[in-house]
Amino acid sequence: METMLTIEGLGKSFKETRVLQNISFEVKKGEIMAILGPNGAGKSTTIRTIMGIMYPDVGSITFHNYRDIPRNKIGYLPEERGLYKNVKVMDILLYLAELKSYPLKKAKERALDYLKKFDLEGKENVSVEELSKGMGQKVQFIASIIHEPEFLILDEPFSGLDPVSQNIFKEEIRKLAENGTAILLSSHQMNLVEELADRLFMINKGKKVIYGTMDEVKTEYANFKCTIRGENEKSILERLPEVQRVEQDGNTSILYLTNNVNPATWIKHLPEQLIINELIIDRITLHEIFIDIATGKSGMEKVGESNA
Amino acid sequence: MRNTLKVAKWEIKRNIKNKTFLIGLFSTPVIFILFMVVPSFFSDDEEAIPTNVLVNDQLDVYTELEMMVDQSELNWNLEATDSKESDVETELIEKEDTAYLFIDERALNEGVVPVYMSDEIDSFFINQVQLLATPIQAVQMEQLGVSTDELEMITKGITFIEPTSEESSSEESSGGMTTKELERMVPGAFAGFIMLSIVFTGMAIFQSASDEKKNKIAEIILSSLTPAELMKGKIVGYFALGIIQTVVSIVLVLPVISWRIDIPFIEYLFVPELAILIIIALLGYLLFAALFVGVGATMADISTAGNFQGLIMMLPFAPFIFIGPVFGDPSGLMAQIGTYIPFTTPGVLILRLSLLEEWPWVEIIIALAILTISAWLFMKLAGKIFKVGILMYGKNASPKEIIKWLRA
Repeated sequence: METMLTIEGLGKSFKETRVLQNISFEVKKGEIMAILGPNGAGKSTTIRTIMGIMYPDVGSITFHNYRDIPRNKIGYLPEERGLYKNVKVMDILLYLAELKSYPLKKAKERALDYLKKFDLEGKENVSVEELSKGMGQKVQFIASIIHEPEFLILDEPFSGLDPVSQNIFKEEIRKLAENGTAILLSSHQMNLVEELADRLFMINKGKKVIYGTMDEVKTEYANFKCTIRGENEKSILERLPEVQRVEQDGNTSILYLTNNVNPATWIKHLPEQLIINELIIDRITLHEIFIDIATGKSGMEKVGESNA
Repeated sequence: MRNTLKVAKWEIKRNIKNKTFLIGLFSTPVIFILFMVVPSFFSDDEEAIPTNVLVNDQLDVYTELEMMVDQSELNWNLEATDSKESDVETELIEKEDTAYLFIDERALNEGVVPVYMSDEIDSFFINQVQLLATPIQAVQMEQLGVSTDELEMITKGITFIEPTSEESSSEESSGGMTTKELERMVPGAFAGFIMLSIVFTGMAIFQSASDEKKNKIAEIILSSLTPAELMKGKIVGYFALGIIQTVVSIVLVLPVISWRIDIPFIEYLFVPELAILIIIALLGYLLFAALFVGVGATMADISTAGNFQGLIMMLPFAPFIFIGPVFGDPSGLMAQIGTYIPFTTPGVLILRLSLLEEWPWVEIIIALAILTISAWLFMKLAGKIFKVGILMYGKNASPKEIIKWLRA
């Protein structure tokens, strides 16, 4: 895949605090690249730096095939966003398309298409202030893609959306990537990121923690875990082979397994006296990795650094 | 430049489609016209109904009374009558704006003239009727044996007058103003009007810049253009809106002015001096627009403006401080000080140039230079503030922060 954007050694400080430190990643054509991290990790700062709204202290941002930031080819949905209040939906969409130098006639057609797709048919002449929050979000999303951007930055696109709208957004984002758009996606909804992203970059306190494809990250960091329902002694479970730690909540026990466990062999060696009403073996989700990192529970940060 | 024009076009379109702007656009000149026209309607109405004054004259002074009424331009219908005093009250019940005067022996002996008035009557009538005392007094004195010469002296009375010199009385030909004064006043008033309406529309820039923050759209817009382009677009856009406001006002007000006031306006308006006056007005607009757009970007909402921002909002009104002194002495010290302070330069200079016969060209050039440099400087500073301030959603910037941005 062709690389669209390369970020190298980005660093930035506000006064004494270093908000970004040696951040490097790239975004390729047709892929969804997720940038994850807890609040205040430096995601929005990274994005604003890419957009040229902020300037980095060190490091470089390169848009391949372009000398400068190709503003007309970028679609941007910022985290904190809104629209002018007392204007019509169509007017603002056309204005934003015009700012991107996109032909008006085409923009109008696309706007109507997307409004229909997002269940906002007939709302084009409604004033923005009459829209609900979710409707407003949809209009903002349309505004960010109306000019057929080559590169799309979505900062928390799902915040404040109901599950139905989330699905519509998800499908649309996937479709855009299939059509060759490079997408940089920042989100807190780990399940959605897990479903959507091809690669991910996890950041905490301004530093890189994890960077790789979704599968790589999962094999490397998302160990198997086994959830058992049934009344069992914690000490017995802890003595089982390949078990790193056990979390117990009532009758449910979660066994975190070591990295190189073979699930099939491991199950065979389970002692017969265990009470098993239900047994689930799966990998730790991105959500759990994220929480572990954010709360500093696991030694993931160190792992990340040595990996860098 | 293309992006600047796009923003300007949008700001114009957005406002033209906005009801509030449209109402303001037309109501401003209409209110102006109403203020000029409505009071004169009322005075016209009162003149229309004359008072009927019926005189039962037994002293033979009717012709003198008639002369008196003509001279004083009273709006009366004077008539002689034979009605008897006892019948009058019943006759008056059905009448409006009517009065009966009974001039007989009682006037000579007791100095009293009975006046019977209808319920509805001009409220000034009882004051007006006192004027008739003079001819009656004359008859009274004649009877007392005063000679005609003495009589003339007494009835002439004493008046207090201000002696006027030859020169000034000859100048006061067209209602207090000479043609020359008018020639200067008309373009000055016109330029002042342009400046005021652009500056007032320019205040909307303020609103527009803080709207960008309030609605959190700045970051979306800035993904397509630079902060400087956005700022310039707003300044150009609101300038155009100000011009639209001015043109609409002039088209509506000018016909009314030339109908009410009998002066050949157009002739006085298009003189070469107008060009310089308009340049001053435009530079003034640029200065205030830069100021407003910069300050607007530091504020989350007009209602949360701090003292600092409030103070800056008041700056366009600063020239009012100088109005008194400048009228008193258009070349005086205060007038010169006002000319050299950038924020008062446009207002004071336009006012002075409208009053002065000889234009102080050196002062004008210095003032224009000061104005140009400060407009340019404030544009630069506003750009710096705007760049940072516009992205600080929901927050007001403190003066300390603003100074920090300016240094950056």
